Amino acid sequence: MKFLLFISTLIFLTKTSYSDEKMLALGDKEYGQHLAGECVTCHKANSDKAIPSINGYDKEVFLTVMLAYKNKEMENPVMQMIAGRLDNEQIASLALYFNSLK
Amino acid sequence: MSKYTRRSFVKIASLSATALSMPSIAFGALPRVVVIGGGAGGATAAKYIAKDSKGKVDVTLIEASKRYYTCFFSNLYLGDFRNYGSIGHNYYGLAVNRGVNVVHEWAKSVDPAAKKVNLGSGGSVSYDKLVVSPGIDLKFDSINGYSTDVQSKMPHAWKSGTQVQLLKNKVKGMKKGGTFVMVPPPNPYRCPPGPYERVSMIAHQFKKSNPTAKIVVLDPKKKFSKMGLFQEAWQKHYPGMIEWIGVDTHGGLKNINAATMEFETDLDTFKADAASVVPAQQAGAIAMTAGINKGDWCPIVAGSMQSQADENIYVLGDASIAKSMPKSGFSANSQAKVAANHIRGSLTGSKVFPARYSNTCWSLVATNDGVKVGASYKAGAEKIDVTSKFISKTGESSDLRKATYEESIGWYEGITSDMFS
Repeated sequence: MKFLLFISTLIFLTKTSYSDEKMLALGDKEYGQHLAGECVTCHKANSDKAIPSINGYDKEVFLTVMLAYKNKEMENPVMQMIAGRLDNEQIASLALYFNSLK
Repeated sequence: MSKYTRRSFVKIASLSATALSMPSIAFGALPRVVVIGGGAGGATAAKYIAKDSKGKVDVTLIEASKRYYTCFFSNLYLGDFRNYGSIGHNYYGLAVNRGVNVVHEWAKSVDPAAKKVNLGSGGSVSYDKLVVSPGIDLKFDSINGYSTDVQSKMPHAWKSGTQVQLLKNKVKGMKKGGTFVMVPPPNPYRCPPGPYERVSMIAHQFKKSNPTAKIVVLDPKKKFSKMGLFQEAWQKHYPGMIEWIGVDTHGGLKNINAATMEFETDLDTFKADAASVVPAQQAGAIAMTAGINKGDWCPIVAGSMQSQADENIYVLGDASIAKSMPKSGFSANSQAKVAANHIRGSLTGSKVFPARYSNTCWSLVATNDGVKVGASYKAGAEKIDVTSKFISKTGESSDLRKATYEESIGWYEGITSDMFS
């Protein structure tokens, strides 16, 4: 619940921001598909477990959440580590790829 | 839900050694990848090569077992947190969804010069690229008095399967107030925190049904993975029950007398009412037949997981020397994706990306009390180098520990789906 509230606040703060569009323009869906191999070890296509499905995830939310993990503004050492070594192009590529999935 | 198609049914049901020995007739001119071993490394590699090549590569997976029971989470079965059926998986998804030829056979030997794998039944399979992911074999003679004859009395339970069920039977049947002796393996071995999670889960069982029981851990090492976290948990959840004795205190395990259940060390002789003994380990025997091992394990090229001895062979998971990565299912799954990308690149000209590896090992220490350790890696000049790492902290809140345990369940669902569907 706390997580959802946090996410919706993030969406409110970041929706349709110019910087998101600029960052997403760096992305490449094919590259995202390759990079996604690392994500899907834990993130299942359909899951009711503690690790959420990220298929079909909103692109802007994806950027915001990943940057928040990268900057250690969101907790979880696994996600901080994974996001920590992704650059903007890679995060944008993953956002485009996961958004394209059902 | 996927339906069986005629094509996939034929692939599963009628693949015979005869057809396999005539690849040019049976499969045309597609490049051929053979994968030995259907665990976290092999199943993942087979899936990703088949999936991403979209029919341009013929993939054959050789795995003796029709049903694969994961080693990871087998400790949770010991602690009654999972039933055994829930850690079993089959290969239908790889055949039906991905078009992998799944052959339930023993791979007997590899002939690297002829580029073929000889099967237990007498047939053989040719390859352009071979993935060797056989996991571990146990070195039974590494401990005096331990042997295959004794493994039913003191289960190692280190390759999942019925050994784990046997161990649970020994734990549940141990006499009231008895002593359980656990002997962890020396480094390097499959699943570094595994022996200590096992101790935790056995203690959890004893706390419920045999609270005056004792557990003695006779460790051939001076320290172990997540040591501070485990020791804190043992103190908190099972006070007075677990005595861990490192090699610098007991001086070495000299002999096991299986008849009397006595463990002789320099320090003392310990008498057990039940025991689990995990001997030293080496790469699965098939790797040795390929001549790709250097001693007990197989050295790899850090950027591709190719064998250092043969560029057409890739070695994944526990059988490899993937320093600095630990031997874990997560590591093997991560390595498989790097190898799959590299193999596709060399066979079909698809783009090869720089290797990225990661690993996380979760351990359950008590009900709703999970801890984790992990790292990310890149290919260095000499070996796979750590880029960043983390570990749970002692004194964490019970809410965080519960979240960590729940995360591990999510991971289990994720990785098994990633491997088998």
